[in-house]
Amino acid sequence: MTKRIDRRAVLRAVIVFVLAVAAFSALSALGSAAAAADATDVATTVVTADAVDVDAVTADAVVDEEDDAGGGSTGLATNRIAQNVFNGVVFGLLLALASVGLSLIYGTTGLSNFAHGEQVSLGAMLAYFFATQQPVSIPLLPVEFTIGWPLWLASIAAIAVAGFTGWLQDRFMWSKLRKRGVKTVQQMIVSIGFSLALLNFLQWWIGPDRLRVSTSIETRRQIGPIQLGDTTSMSIGIAVVALLAVGYFLLRTRLGRATRAVSDNPALAAASGIKVDGIIRLVWVMATSLAALGGILLALYDSGTKFDTGAKLLLLMFAAVTLGGLGQPFGALVGSLVIGVVVETSTLWLGPDLKYATALAILILVLLVRPQGILGRAERVG
Amino acid sequence: MDILVSILREAIAPTTAAFALAAIGLNFHFGMTGLLNMGQAGFMLLGMYGYAITAREGGPIWLGVLVAIALAVVFAVVLGWPTLKLRGDYLAIVTIAAAEMIRYVGRSQNLNSLTGASTGIRGNEFKGSFEMLSPFPDRMVEFGPIALHGSQSTSWWLALVGWSLVGLMVLLFWRLSRSPWGRVLKGVREDEDAVRSLGKNVYSYKMQALVIGGAIGAIAGIVWALGASVQPDSMGRPTTFWIWTLLLLGGAATVFGPVLGSILFWCALVFVKGVASAVIPDTILNTQQLEPFSLTLVGVTLMCLVIFRPQGILGDKKELAFHD
Repeated sequence: MTKRIDRRAVLRAVIVFVLAVAAFSALSALGSAAAAADATDVATTVVTADAVDVDAVTADAVVDEEDDAGGGSTGLATNRIAQNVFNGVVFGLLLALASVGLSLIYGTTGLSNFAHGEQVSLGAMLAYFFATQQPVSIPLLPVEFTIGWPLWLASIAAIAVAGFTGWLQDRFMWSKLRKRGVKTVQQMIVSIGFSLALLNFLQWWIGPDRLRVSTSIETRRQIGPIQLGDTTSMSIGIAVVALLAVGYFLLRTRLGRATRAVSDNPALAAASGIKVDGIIRLVWVMATSLAALGGILLALYDSGTKFDTGAKLLLLMFAAVTLGGLGQPFGALVGSLVIGVVVETSTLWLGPDLKYATALAILILVLLVRPQGILGRAERVG
Repeated sequence: MDILVSILREAIAPTTAAFALAAIGLNFHFGMTGLLNMGQAGFMLLGMYGYAITAREGGPIWLGVLVAIALAVVFAVVLGWPTLKLRGDYLAIVTIAAAEMIRYVGRSQNLNSLTGASTGIRGNEFKGSFEMLSPFPDRMVEFGPIALHGSQSTSWWLALVGWSLVGLMVLLFWRLSRSPWGRVLKGVREDEDAVRSLGKNVYSYKMQALVIGGAIGAIAGIVWALGASVQPDSMGRPTTFWIWTLLLLGGAATVFGPVLGSILFWCALVFVKGVASAVIPDTILNTQQLEPFSLTLVGVTLMCLVIFRPQGILGDKKELAFHD
């Protein structure tokens, strides 16, 4: 297989996609009562279908397209579209924090970690646990107490604890499994079990309600066509700094080079004197801390969090990671931005309850056309 | 004593039968062929919608079942076509994503009048034609220590139909797994390239397995829907993971594994909840926390099973189904 996109694969993808769109349009036509609504429904579905189709091939096309579309419409619409694209970029940046870790884990160990979504929730829950003024408790202990640290301290503590859980996991579970030669598919099902356990543990511990990590109300300012809150702009800053730090680490430091070497070929890396197990442990700690940071920032951005927030994001992360190329940390960044923008802009046409479905459609489309992703190397995957 | 009765009731409940059916379908995928279908709940949900909508619009039962199966078959073909040629975990990611998409589309406001959006379809809109056929009296019937309604919702009638279907599917699995066709599938699971070198069309065999397992999943969805109602959120990812847990518990690639797994799984859940609420004081674990507590144990069980006894209770260590 060469870098060139396989024409048969494209054909397959297009047919499946057209079928899906046709099925959905037909259902919409059946579903909606008004005939007028039908026509617009069908039309808009097709429009989004085209937009999505383009994204799969190029990452930046979508942004350009949205801008073009905005230029043609009225002033009000421009405002909304710009705001949605901007929200998408913010969401994509925060999503990238989580998916970079997922991609690093996949790259170094070959494991599709289904519990990564719960690591995101865990970060947010821990931040709540440390920061809230409400009485909190630890499962199975009948004592209630209040910690109530300021948010920055609570966040640092949460990230540290989350990173520690990554260390624990690798020390006592994943490294043992690797040593026993357990297959990656088997490890994947272990991670599914772990995600189920962690998800329900979080619900048991913190409860099923939606929580606010920060209780302050942020002031929103108007900058050009978009509205921007103070917390949000700070979140963007933190996310960008964290992502730049990861990039610097991977590209410029010795350890980062070793990480990329392990990602490329573990056996060869071990042969050239790199401690593969140590690198993988470091990757786990990094991935879980980044996921926790992402979780906290998302909780601030959405002004609330729930025990299953991360679980809902997991498939978006998979979509981002696959789109960018499995095991490519920078691909995960690009993929996350695309997914973020598509998810947020799709609400302009489809209802907000379908916004995650568009990301999943992209995921399936990418697997059909270019299973190795945008930045992935072309290799035999089947 | 109460716990024993409720365990017994859970063991024969239609939901247990529904999960056993879904696990038999998954056994065709994973146990026999080694396909990683992480979207069995999606197949179930399609079956539920297919049957419930047909029955609500006044269609006969056989048509409803046909529509349900047809939907599952189409879904399987559309999913399998592009992914069965890729590595195993790609199928896993695609099936889990597609199953979630079915759920999102089903609960979307755009399709409100068809699927009832997030509230789903209420039981009394589609159960009538099935309950009319019940040979049992139309009141609570006690049989030993267990009292169930004769014909409505979680009834003796549905339990009878559900478990008959389970028996039928077990028989089907037993026959097929010993047929030349089943041997080829097992060959695909063990070593795809070897089978290909014998001139078999691996892709087509995988597709057949995916379609059959998916159709059984749709039937499982119908049984579940007749016992409860059509609710898209009840068929999310956790449901798929539970089916995996109970299949691995009973033993993948075995004839009775899914049935035993389903019964054990649901009985164990009832047992854990019953014992926990009786033994652990309310201050430490209140009733609201009981459900997540027992499901946490389910997750831990799945992890331990896969690590320490991947062949399950009935399985054969030599016939391990984990291959990359």
